[in-house]
Amino acid sequence: MFKSLIEKNERRSQLSIMAQYLNTCFMISTVDDEYLISIEKGNVTNVEEGPFIMPSYIFKLTASKNEWLKFLQSTPQPGSHDIIAMLRRKVLKFEGDLHPLMSHLLYFKLLLASLRPAEGNNEN
Amino acid sequence: MKIEKEPITGNYGKFEIDGVKHRIYWEEAGEGIPLVCLHTAGSDGRQYRALLNDKKILKKYRVIVFDMPWHGKSSPPENSQVGHYKLSTESYISQIMSFIDGLELVKPVVMGCSIGGRIILHLAIHFPEKFKALIGLQSAGHLDPYYDISWLHRQDVHGGEVCGGIAYGLMAPTSPENDKFETMWHYMQGGPGIFKGDLFFYKFDGNIGTEIKKIDNSKCPIFLLTGEYDYSATPEETKSLADTIGIEIVKMKNVGHFPMSENPEEFLKYLHPVLEKIN
Repeated sequence: MFKSLIEKNERRSQLSIMAQYLNTCFMISTVDDEYLISIEKGNVTNVEEGPFIMPSYIFKLTASKNEWLKFLQSTPQPGSHDIIAMLRRKVLKFEGDLHPLMSHLLYFKLLLASLRPAEGNNEN
Repeated sequence: MKIEKEPITGNYGKFEIDGVKHRIYWEEAGEGIPLVCLHTAGSDGRQYRALLNDKKILKKYRVIVFDMPWHGKSSPPENSQVGHYKLSTESYISQIMSFIDGLELVKPVVMGCSIGGRIILHLAIHFPEKFKALIGLQSAGHLDPYYDISWLHRQDVHGGEVCGGIAYGLMAPTSPENDKFETMWHYMQGGPGIFKGDLFFYKFDGNIGTEIKKIDNSKCPIFLLTGEYDYSATPEETKSLADTIGIEIVKMKNVGHFPMSENPEEFLKYLHPVLEKIN
């Protein structure tokens, strides 16, 4: 579901400029599945899919698979269009040291949104 | 290429708010019924650039938009210090009423968005006779905190970046990217701690409970419009407010928390019929 974050494209290359001093590792959880994502100088350098025995990460974003699928629609519905909107609905949980996330909030929002398919194609 | 000049005039003026000297910036355009517009928390009057350029509105209304103290081109008041700004209900009401009195506006229409959409409820409760009508955009009676607003003002986080990131998500994915970017950019230009200081009003001091029942729509007509993508003041929350007042809500499709700025074309479709009802 999040594996393709590793794929390079123009959109993600542009994003790395917004986070050129960011080096971190974070986890995205769909409850059943987990993904460890490494970022170096604003570029996604590794995406590892679980299960993990002793995963080490700085912060973690957890939502059900269904909620992530709603977020990843090409045009998401109100309340599913943004991670803070999901936080407000209490369907997404932020955990850990949130400094890398909050200091690069727009970067992470756009990075996750880069997984959305072009309009008219909602397959994920 | 010749410059296409807009019909907007910018002004600076000095007056006292609660006995303290202020230097305030405002923009205006049009002639007729004064329509005072209130910007959102942490932003400034540029959010209303489309209204100030709308020929249809300018034929009937004198649109006036001021930057709150500490915001946009308005100065902080005398003897200010960084980190001490907190907007209270009382001070917000004072600045609006002082501005209206200072410009000698008689029975203006006041339209506010977000914190502005909240303060118009306080105006409706306390001074209904002073206004021809009140328009609330993204109005809710109260808001419980749903994220830690201390992130908005920390020396180890760039305030402009985080405030812009918060504002970006409050807009609809369907709004035009250029307008969304400009709306976010205004947030990125706010002073340290100002957005957070405004949210003290929005999430704490300005919350209204049962006092909403005091609003009498027959004394001053109230109109409430809310964008469907707003998760800060949701259409459901505005509807609950409207039900208490006994009025209808206008739910705006394809816009979020900043209708006048993030998608002006769509917003004006909803605003024109409202403004036409006011005489």
